[in-house]
Amino acid sequence: MTERDGLAELAAAPPPAPPPLSADLEAQLGTLSPVTTRRPLRQLAILVVVSLIYGVGLIALLTFRDDMLELPRFWLAIVAIGWLFGFLVPCYFALVPRAGAVTPRWRLAGIAVVIASIGFVTLGLAIHPMRPSSVSYGWEHFGRGHTCLEIGLATALVPVVIGAIFLRGALPIGSRWVAAALGAGGGCLGGLVLHLHCHVADGPHVGLIHGGVVVISALLSAAIVPRATDVR
Amino acid sequence: MAEAKELMARYCDGEASAFRELYALVAPRLLGYLTKMARQRAVAEDLLQLTFMKVHRARAAYVRGADPVPWIYSIAHRTFIDETRRVKRGVVRISDSDELPEQRADLHGEADHSRDEPRADPELVKATLDALAELPDQQREAVVLTKLDGRSVAEAAEIAGTTVGAMKVRAHRGYEALRQLLGRPPARTAAAATTKAARGAP
Repeated sequence: MTERDGLAELAAAPPPAPPPLSADLEAQLGTLSPVTTRRPLRQLAILVVVSLIYGVGLIALLTFRDDMLELPRFWLAIVAIGWLFGFLVPCYFALVPRAGAVTPRWRLAGIAVVIASIGFVTLGLAIHPMRPSSVSYGWEHFGRGHTCLEIGLATALVPVVIGAIFLRGALPIGSRWVAAALGAGGGCLGGLVLHLHCHVADGPHVGLIHGGVVVISALLSAAIVPRATDVR
Repeated sequence: MAEAKELMARYCDGEASAFRELYALVAPRLLGYLTKMARQRAVAEDLLQLTFMKVHRARAAYVRGADPVPWIYSIAHRTFIDETRRVKRGVVRISDSDELPEQRADLHGEADHSRDEPRADPELVKATLDALAELPDQQREAVVLTKLDGRSVAEAAEIAGTTVGAMKVRAHRGYEALRQLLGRPPARTAAAATTKAARGAP
C-alpha cells in the first residue's frame, strides 16, 4: 500500500451526495430577485472620478500652496503624477480581478501597498525643494503637521468607502491586502492634495506626514474594511 | 449540464432553477473537499450550507464571464477557517483547579468510526483518510485540492489565498508526510489518529 494508491483510490471514489438545500436557502430562493453583478472597470472609473472630484474640491477649498509659483514646474508635475499613479495602481489591483476571476488580485495589491508606503516616505524625506515662501517645521515643530495628516486621511476616506461598498462579498481571501491597497490608494490621493496645498517643505514633514498618510490610511483600512466587506 | 459561469449568470438574473443546477454541479466536489478538511460528514454538510448561503448573499459581487467555482471554493475555505476558529474559541473549563487541562470544543469532535468513509476500497481509503487527518490543516488542504480534487497548483493557491510557491511547498510536504504515515503499519496509523482525536488536536 502506497500513498499513491491511497490517493488514487480516494480521488477515484465518487464524490459524496450533497444534502438537500437548507430551509433558509429554499426560503431565499423563493423570493429570488435579479441582482446587478459587479463590473470592476466601471467601478474603478466611478471610484477614480468621484475621488478626483472630491480631491479637486478640497484643493479649491484649501487653496494652492503659497510657494507654488516658485517651485520647479518639472518637479511639481513629476511628483503630482507620482501621487496620481500611487492612487490609481493600488485601486486598480484592489478592484479589478484578472480576466476570468472573481476575487481581486490581492497579492499585486499587497505589493503596490508596500511600494507606495516605502516609496513616498523615502521620496519625501529625500527630495523636498524649499523656496523663500516655503515653511520649515523641522523636527522641532514636527507635531504641528497633524493638520496635514487629518486632511490626507479625510481625502482617503472617500475612495476607501466607495471601494468597500463595491467589494462587498468579493473578498473571501486576501481581504486585508485589498483593503490596505484601497487605503494606500486613498492615502496617495491625500498626498496629492497635500502636495498641491501644503507649503511646509522640510524633509520630516513631507516624508513622514505626507508619506505617512499612505501608511496610516493603509493600516486603518486593513483593520476596518474587511469587516465591512464580509458577508456572513 | 450547463457550465458553472452560465448557471451563475442565470442565477444572478433571478433564475432559482439555475442556482439548483449550480448546486448540483458544484456541491458534490465541494462537500468532498469540506469532508476531508473537517473530517466529519455532518460538519462538512453544515459548512456546505453556510458556504452556499454566503454565495447567495454575495452574488452581486460575481463578475459575469468569470468562473465562479474557485470563488465558491474560496468562500468554503474561508468558512471552514472561520468556523474552526469560532469553535476553538469556545473553551469550556471543566475544573476550577489547574489540575485538569482545558478541553476545547472541537470542530471534529466525533469518534473516528463516525467519519465519512467512501466505498471504493474501504481499507485503503480509510488508511489514507486517517493519514490525511493527521496532516496539519494547510498541508491537508494542499493535498486535497491538488491531488484529490484535480485543481492546478495555481487554482489551489487562489482558493487558499496563498502564493503558488507556498502551495507547492505545502502540497509537497503534505505528500511526503502522507507517504511516511502510510508507510507505517495500519494499526499504528489508526492508533495515532485516535490518540490525536482524543487529545482534541486539530
